[in-house]
Amino acid sequence: MKDVSKYRVRARSSSIWMALSVAATALGLGMLALILGSLFWNGFTSLSPRVFTEMTPPPGSAGGLLNAIVGSLMMTALGVLVGAPLGIMAGTWLAEYSAGSRLASVVRFINDILLSAPSIVIGLFIYTVAVAPIGRFSGIAGALALAVIVIPVTLRTTEDMLRLVPTALREAAYALGMPRSLVIRKVIYSAAKSGIVTGVLLAVARISGETAPLLFTALNNQFFSWDMTRPVANLPYVIFQFASSPYKDAQSLAWAGAIIITMTVLALSVTARSLSGSRNS
Amino acid sequence: MVDFAMQANPAQSQAADSRARALARFKLSDAVFGWVTRLSALTVLLILSGVILSLFIGAMPTIQAYGLGFLTSQSWNPPLEKFGAAPSIYGTLVTSVIAMLIAVPVGVGVAIFLTELCPPALRRPVGIAIELLAGIPSIIYGMWGFFVLNPFLQGVLGSGLSLFTAGVVLAIMVLPFISSITRDVFETVPPMLKESAYGLGCTRWEVIRSVVIPYTRVGIIGGVMLALGRALGETMAVTFVVGNANRISPNWLDPGTTISATIANQFGEAEPGLYTSSLMTLGLLLFLVTFVVLAGARLMLMRLERRAGA
Amino acid sequence: MSATPAEKVSVKNLRFFYGQNLALKGINLPLYDRKVTAFIGPSGCGKSTLLRVLNRMYDLYPKQRAEGEVLLDGENILGPEQDLNLLRARIGMVFQKPTPFPMSIYENIAFGIRLYENLPRSEMDDRVEAALRGAALWDEVKNKLGASGLSLSGGQQQRLCIARSVAVKPDVILFDEPCSALDPISTAKIEELIDELKAHYTIAIVTHNMQQAARVSDYTAFMYLGELIEFDETDRIFTAPKQRATQDYITGRFG
Repeated sequence: MKDVSKYRVRARSSSIWMALSVAATALGLGMLALILGSLFWNGFTSLSPRVFTEMTPPPGSAGGLLNAIVGSLMMTALGVLVGAPLGIMAGTWLAEYSAGSRLASVVRFINDILLSAPSIVIGLFIYTVAVAPIGRFSGIAGALALAVIVIPVTLRTTEDMLRLVPTALREAAYALGMPRSLVIRKVIYSAAKSGIVTGVLLAVARISGETAPLLFTALNNQFFSWDMTRPVANLPYVIFQFASSPYKDAQSLAWAGAIIITMTVLALSVTARSLSGSRNS
Repeated sequence: MVDFAMQANPAQSQAADSRARALARFKLSDAVFGWVTRLSALTVLLILSGVILSLFIGAMPTIQAYGLGFLTSQSWNPPLEKFGAAPSIYGTLVTSVIAMLIAVPVGVGVAIFLTELCPPALRRPVGIAIELLAGIPSIIYGMWGFFVLNPFLQGVLGSGLSLFTAGVVLAIMVLPFISSITRDVFETVPPMLKESAYGLGCTRWEVIRSVVIPYTRVGIIGGVMLALGRALGETMAVTFVVGNANRISPNWLDPGTTISATIANQFGEAEPGLYTSSLMTLGLLLFLVTFVVLAGARLMLMRLERRAGA
Repeated sequence: MSATPAEKVSVKNLRFFYGQNLALKGINLPLYDRKVTAFIGPSGCGKSTLLRVLNRMYDLYPKQRAEGEVLLDGENILGPEQDLNLLRARIGMVFQKPTPFPMSIYENIAFGIRLYENLPRSEMDDRVEAALRGAALWDEVKNKLGASGLSLSGGQQQRLCIARSVAVKPDVILFDEPCSALDPISTAKIEELIDELKAHYTIAIVTHNMQQAARVSDYTAFMYLGELIEFDETDRIFTAPKQRATQDYITGRFG
């Protein structure tokens, strides 16, 4: 005879735990919905054409974010331009050249750590090598800090994506007598193209909201400037500054900046996801 | 025999000649490409050693001036040039502990829901939503904490900007990390293993507790440590809400500070000399601690991968 | 029978290691010029390994190594001074599964040619056409040369890969179970093709299909557990094998 009463207890305890897991999910998703909800509410009500046409205002008056948006775009672009090729090349080395080498496992390990390393420390590092010796904050220093964050992201995705390229394709290319660099550049890269682009998009998403590494590299600039050798305005810094300001105008601009960044990040992640999704199917 | 082949087929040997010439052209570009990729890979090591070296050099004056006392001293008085890291360290640990206490059970719960309970139609959208949320910049979480959570907790608990608030914001921020890693790790459990437990008459919870969690323990710990690494080093989500008070209070509802918040708030206007150096020392400390935690996390996850691969 | 033809490739005392594992235990065997040699034997007998030694594909993997000699026109290709790209341009390979490159049909062929020759556009067109004709694919693709190689059917993809190998003008072509992923009609086309190709090329083919070996090859090598058990003219292997093991294998009593 089976002990049915014992089973009842077990079944009940199982239901309780499962209910808790549903509750955890509801709580987690609820909090995240709450954050997005208040961000969208405050963000979209703060958005106006002025945000995109006017400069950041002095305390207490109204204005826009144009200089910060342009500054962020410039630094992001330069950061990706410097970081992505390095990351892609390094990922290529790990996937295609390094078989069996001890150095490769060290590089991979360190890279995984840099992937989650505190970004403020990267700000301190770039401050030491690119701000302190020159004696002033600059957009270039900010872009360098961002590049340091781009490298691990693109390295990781590039390596993963190259490893997904079937061995048979690789061997077929070698079997034609192609030198290694051509096999990689012409055959393997084109087979992994969408994956590599995904990695770059994810890296852009990652740095477009990074604040901490810019605090002591790019600093900020109240005015519009194309000059990357001087402090450059950027969205994250402006958000940081304006959110803690007592003025309503400034706070509203901070929300506007936050929604711009969030929408950019979400759009980039969705694009990246659909790119890598279409490759899988 | 070689000669014979050459004579028999002059066209072929000619083709071979032009191939050899073409090949010589490739040799250089091939070598250059190989070296460029290799050097690029070395930049990773360069960055790591650059970070450690620059922080260490920056920290030297402090280390010489205070030695280990820097870690235990509570004062932070720039005009008097008296600096101690204890309050920042305390705040960093407290906020991270609060974050983990909240985020780990909730995150594992979400992962259980996603892998065991979720209707298949919902699994993808919920999973994607969680991964997208993991990509939202931390400054957004900080802002939300400042403008929404802060007044709310002020009303409920009577204290808005505090170590506790910072811990809660951190918890929400690392939650997507923990749940997506734990979910991935749960999915490495061979279906046969679960099915044989169900075959014994185990309930769903018993299968999770006795098969899924033990099988994936290493991976879960790895994921949690990864999240801890993020929480320890997080700057913007914390700086907004921690209150930025340089003191150690046993009451977690009091304001405090963390290593990263102290650096973020003060480095920009710090005087050169011991002030700047003390902040650099804090940075070095933060980097070393997160390095150890993250390295541990990676080793754990690697162990799981190796087993899954075998 | 006619006089023995010239040896294009001679394998001498070849031993091959995967790490510590000895996979080929001293193989001696010729590949005759412009003949088809088939390699048969149960899975894991080393026939594919042997093929991958001939174009040194194993060099891509750090823990694999070969000892002994493989002479191509009298020259040892296992020597360290052997240039691998040059070697592989002389010894083409067609794989188990079709491996078209992720580019257009035209580019799939032109690409390999361009590696070693600078041709004007019109000449390149001719070469591409000739290669596709040689692989009996021209009529099927002549109107869509710009389409992706991946858009073709499996059998067409495999013929595209053969055309790609042929276009580089190799001396030897290695086929590693080229039909195992194909339907019977595509298989028949490939076999016909191999029969035509042997007028110009020395061919080695690994196959699991005994009938295929009997149909396409002039010589057959039976391998078992890393050793060459028997090598002879195909007719003789299939009608009067000298070894008991060969007999058992080809009659299916083994395996």
